[in-house]
Amino acid sequence: MSRWVLAGLKTGIVTTGYPREEESAPGVTPGRPRGGEVADPAKIVARCPSGAISAAGGGVVIDRRRCVHCSACRGDLPWEETYEWATVAAAESGLGRPFRGSLHVLVVDAGSCGACLSEVRQLNNPYYNMHRLGFFITPTPRNADLMLVLGPVTAHMHRALRVAYAAMPGPKRVIAVGTCAASGGVFGPSFAAGSGAADAVPVDVVVPGCPPPPLAVLHGLLVAAGRKEGAG
Amino acid sequence: MIALVLAFLGVIVAGMAVVLALPDRYVPRAVAAIGSVAAVLAMWVSGAALFAGNELHVGLWTIPGLGRIVLGLDRMGALFVFAAGLVFLPVSIFSAGYLPRFRGHYSLRAFGAWYLAMFGSIAFIPGCGDVLSFLVVWELMSITSYLLVVYEHERDESAHAGWLMLVISEAGTLAAAVGLLVLAVHAGSLEFAAIRAGNGGIGDGARWAVFLLSFFGFGVKAGLFPFNLWLPHAHPAAPGNVSALLSGVILNVGIYGIVRVNIDLLPPIGVGPGLVVMGIGAVTALVGILYATVEDDLKRMLAHSSIENMGIVAVGLGAGMTFLAAGRPTLGAIAFVAAFYHMVNHSVYKGLLFLGAGTVDATVGTRSMDRLGGLIHRLPWTGLAFLVGALSISALPPFNGFASEWLTLQSILRSVELSAIGVKAAFAVAGAILALTAALAVTAFVKAFAMTFLGHARSPEAERANRAPRALIAPMLILAALCLTLGVTPTYVIPTIDRAVGEYTHASATDALVPPFFLTTAADTRGLPAGFVADFHDLGAQTGRSFLPGRGLVVLHRGGKENPVVYAMSPAYTLIVLLLMLGLTAGTVWLLAARRRRVARGEEWAGGVRRLAPEMTYTATGFSQPVRVIFQAIFHPTVEEESREAAAGYFRLAIRRVQRDVYLPERLVFRPLARLAAGISAGCARMHNGKLNAYAAYVFIALIVVIAVGIIVR
Amino acid sequence: MEVERLAAALAERFGVKARVERDGGLTVPCSAADLAGVCETLFTAYDCAFAGLIVEERDGWTLRHLFYSERAIIRVVSRSDRPTFPSISARMHAADWHERAAEDLFGIAFSGHPRLGEFVLHEQWPEGTNPMRRGFDVRRPSPRPDAAAGWAPPRVLHAPGAFSMPIGPIFSGVEESVHFQLETVGEEIVRVIPRLFYNYRGVEAIARGRTIAAVLLLAERFTGTASFAHATAFSRAVEAACGVAVPVRAARLRAFIAELERLRHHTAAIHGICSSTGLAVAASQAAILEEELLRLSAGLTGHRYLFGLAVPGGLRRDLADDDCRRAAAEAGAIARRLEGLERSLARSSSFLDRLEQVGIVTADEARRYGLVGPVARASGIDRDLRVILPYGGYADLGLRVAREEEGDGYARLRVLFAEARESARLLTALADGLPDGSVSAPIQPRAGEGLGWVEAPGGAAVHWVRLDDDGAVAEWRILPPSFANWHGFHLAAEGFAFQDFPIILATFGLAAAENDR
Repeated sequence: MSRWVLAGLKTGIVTTGYPREEESAPGVTPGRPRGGEVADPAKIVARCPSGAISAAGGGVVIDRRRCVHCSACRGDLPWEETYEWATVAAAESGLGRPFRGSLHVLVVDAGSCGACLSEVRQLNNPYYNMHRLGFFITPTPRNADLMLVLGPVTAHMHRALRVAYAAMPGPKRVIAVGTCAASGGVFGPSFAAGSGAADAVPVDVVVPGCPPPPLAVLHGLLVAAGRKEGAG
Repeated sequence: MIALVLAFLGVIVAGMAVVLALPDRYVPRAVAAIGSVAAVLAMWVSGAALFAGNELHVGLWTIPGLGRIVLGLDRMGALFVFAAGLVFLPVSIFSAGYLPRFRGHYSLRAFGAWYLAMFGSIAFIPGCGDVLSFLVVWELMSITSYLLVVYEHERDESAHAGWLMLVISEAGTLAAAVGLLVLAVHAGSLEFAAIRAGNGGIGDGARWAVFLLSFFGFGVKAGLFPFNLWLPHAHPAAPGNVSALLSGVILNVGIYGIVRVNIDLLPPIGVGPGLVVMGIGAVTALVGILYATVEDDLKRMLAHSSIENMGIVAVGLGAGMTFLAAGRPTLGAIAFVAAFYHMVNHSVYKGLLFLGAGTVDATVGTRSMDRLGGLIHRLPWTGLAFLVGALSISALPPFNGFASEWLTLQSILRSVELSAIGVKAAFAVAGAILALTAALAVTAFVKAFAMTFLGHARSPEAERANRAPRALIAPMLILAALCLTLGVTPTYVIPTIDRAVGEYTHASATDALVPPFFLTTAADTRGLPAGFVADFHDLGAQTGRSFLPGRGLVVLHRGGKENPVVYAMSPAYTLIVLLLMLGLTAGTVWLLAARRRRVARGEEWAGGVRRLAPEMTYTATGFSQPVRVIFQAIFHPTVEEESREAAAGYFRLAIRRVQRDVYLPERLVFRPLARLAAGISAGCARMHNGKLNAYAAYVFIALIVVIAVGIIVR
Repeated sequence: MEVERLAAALAERFGVKARVERDGGLTVPCSAADLAGVCETLFTAYDCAFAGLIVEERDGWTLRHLFYSERAIIRVVSRSDRPTFPSISARMHAADWHERAAEDLFGIAFSGHPRLGEFVLHEQWPEGTNPMRRGFDVRRPSPRPDAAAGWAPPRVLHAPGAFSMPIGPIFSGVEESVHFQLETVGEEIVRVIPRLFYNYRGVEAIARGRTIAAVLLLAERFTGTASFAHATAFSRAVEAACGVAVPVRAARLRAFIAELERLRHHTAAIHGICSSTGLAVAASQAAILEEELLRLSAGLTGHRYLFGLAVPGGLRRDLADDDCRRAAAEAGAIARRLEGLERSLARSSSFLDRLEQVGIVTADEARRYGLVGPVARASGIDRDLRVILPYGGYADLGLRVAREEEGDGYARLRVLFAEARESARLLTALADGLPDGSVSAPIQPRAGEGLGWVEAPGGAAVHWVRLDDDGAVAEWRILPPSFANWHGFHLAAEGFAFQDFPIILATFGLAAAENDR
């Protein structure tokens, strides 16, 4: 047993400084394209397989809820190495600050491919360690304050998701994690998959990305807890 | 006093006549009324002896050639009668609500008559002052209890269980009778008083013989290992109210027999018998609770638990006997007090639990815990009473089981004051076994309560359970109140029992355990360091001086100067603190939270897609499966059925698996005995070979043997 | 020569004319009547493993039963005008789930199958819904039930006190949605019924008629933890259909990235096993390595899960040789730390106690269930598509296939460690020997079908496509490794205690998303 304690101590502290400070280690985020003025908007719009890019006044705008990071537009559009991607779903009404103290998070896989799930799982690893910020994963909705919904919400998970939401005590917030949960992504809407978490439950915060890196999810949690501003 | 005894006898006899004359419709209420009156009378007489010291000793008449029949009730006997009355009173009331279910199927009149007869015989056993009347009344009790066990004679279970009980307990009675007769022959009289007076010269061999015969003989009735095979069959097979009596009263009678012979009549032999009693008690307790933990039948589970409790009583008795023999009378007195305290407690809570189980059986129609569940909604009062019983038997303060089990364990820990290493080791082992037993008891009763009353109903019967009539509920609440009362008043119970055992220990457990804290005179604090007295007064031990009678509410075992307090407890103060803390917590929560937050009620959370069905919840068998796996060597389950069916290859249709635990005494004692008997019979059968010459040879050999014996004896 | 011998034997026995394919495999046309006999002969007499069933509705019904022989893929092709075929499940259990899925999705009746009915589609769908049939409108909204699921599989365990315990689909921490029904008498789990397809997104149905680029997005994203493997397998299927050979540099880079994915996947699986046993420090150590590999991946390819790289014809972008060498060196360092972790774990008796002799799958069971990947290799079956059907230059790399015999949880863990080690070695070998050249060959879509396979991290993954005349994807089928291994999972969990269940599950390293599709 002491061997493990020693191994743990030897590793030292690897945890990120976020949200106190920016995290700039390479590879913490895949980055994402940025819209704006471009030379040939039509070419770029045609190249996007997920229909996330549309032309607007001499440039392109990117629908974050549809972009799947396929990198087809890499090289044509500037790439931003950011990760604070979470937005408030109903920006005008705001979220308020309903919570004090630590929060318990229920993670519901409603048809995700596993990448979003893996990124959420990384939040427990020593690099991100969500516990230090007062977030804890809980297996039951009974003591959950926040719900992370992953995936486009399949037909088979639709009821389970709603039952889980109903089983959460108030106040409660729902965070749609990933492009699928934001819009249905490449899968929905179809006979088997919905068009995102908002299909089934009221969504408060959206974290786009395919998948959003752990820091983006962490940003989403902080936004939902009212401890950070959402992205524009 | 004698008038009251006659009144009791009259009520029993006249009651039997009345019950036999009444139409079945009125019998339940008549049994309740007559039984209650008889119980009150019995408690009156025994109470007078127990509390006020009005002991009885009356010679009735002399039978030529056999001696005098004596009615004698000392404090010790009175304790047993009083405990019996404590159980008989509520059980009689319970019968009013319980018996009507048999109407039109079995004769209620017969039940009433046997019921009263059994009570009469049980009440008189401790009042018998001579061997002859003792054995006669004992047999009367055996037969009436047999008749009550087989009351539902159309059920094979009852008939078989009753027969088993009769055979084994008669064998035990025979052994005990032989032991008593050895004593009587030695003293030249059948009277207990004469035996007590003239027992000085018995040789060690005879003493051991009497001890072993009486201990194992009466041990059969008391449910002690290994001759308790009958108990887990008979107790559950009897009607609900009779089960309560079998466990709550008749087991005590077995203890009475052991105590009467070995503590009263037989002079001590050294530490041997005490250690035997303690060892057997420890094994009994462990085996009993193990089988109780894994048992699925609610009543059989309670029966196994009765075995366990009798084991604990025996451990206390054994410890007391050892302490006495080792010259530590005060410790002996404490151990005896603990044992009898526990016995009385067991009568009360086991009576309660069996009445609860009887109510469940009567309202649901099954005793299988796998098929029960969720009954708290249908039987809320029964559930509450059963919970009190379960807490008591699990030895949780402030209920009565805690006080006596704690005292028993503390007594065993006092073995540090003994000098012989072997004896100390035996105490340590017994203490460890008792501790394990206590832990398992909690498991067993969490299961019994939770699987019966909480969760989902696991069968349609349980879902449709009838509500219980008030006549069933009231007696359980009485017993539940008794559980609490006996639990918080050890400082009153201990002196009472101490007076009963004081005749044999010649030492006072009261002085050692219940210091007179309320009195501050010099006489009371003599021998105590002044600082210690002051400290205890500072702690509030004298609280209640102005209104509490007796010696207050603190049990405290005094040691020497270095450690003035060996152990101390006060369930009464525990209760007060408990209530204060609960109230404080509830009040705080209410102040902080409840007023501002609405309570939302929703469906159970079952993972998202399914509603939790009853067959998806833990069964009693499932709950206790880990214990079964850990103690597999003891349970030695036999596989009765193990089969797999498949449609093809790996497409499985059914896995069938039926296992049965083999009861340890059955495996260790009864099966080998049965095999031996069968072997001997087979051997005898071989002698019957039909050849005339052989028979002639047998006759000749027999003749020679007889002559040889005659010559040798002469 | 092996396939020719097989072809001759089948011709003699059943009179079928087998054809050797361009990829070295064998196509065995056979009548529905002979189907069961041919399959059984392959399975029992020639030791072929059942690989999967591909159903196509095109002028009647075509079934392709795929088998792995020692060095090739055997396709047993049977046709019928009506959706009725004989079942082969009773003879080789591996086909069980494939037939059930085909029954559910296509409405094919498999005569003689002992247990058909609700499988992929849950009870909320009206009877007779077959989403893979032509003419099914994949855009119609799904039924959304308000009532709790009425799913009640027949109870198999009959014992006093037996009960069934439902778990999930939302059950524990950060887990995929799976539902289990465990039958037990307490302590020991006697029977496990996993209910899957909570993540069923119908990707094969919605792919119909989409462009290759659009289907590539689906192939890459239906399972995120093995996305590069499946994107490659799909690309290889399209390349086979179009008769395109990828440039050697692209093939080598694909292998390089695939090994990086395998290393990360196995590290994640090891992390899962460590945390399932509650060994916190070891779990943290593995998690650190996993995150470092994710960062390494993002640094090298621009994506933490290697999305957006594989395309039919090669790779979307070239990677610089130096970057690859640096990545290989870093991965090598991580693999060495992983070895240190393995050594520490091997000395932790409390950890080993939870894995050794727990969750056993025998070699015979693994064969009959057609298990694949590390799970099968831990039960003594060392099939690895990188070796038996080499692609991407694996033939030259001298791949050492890990194999253990015990079939218990510890054997599966050792295989994971060994494969991670081997992947790190391959990374260095590949990075050092990258040839120059282009990384993409142009694709000229044409009508046709193609089979593509890779050894995904979880085991053999096979994709099959049929392209339209206009180059769109007409049909797409996936045979994912998790589908085979989920089928066999119950073998490992049955007979062990409740507390072993999550550990056994972790040692299987299953992905529900990959299985559900």
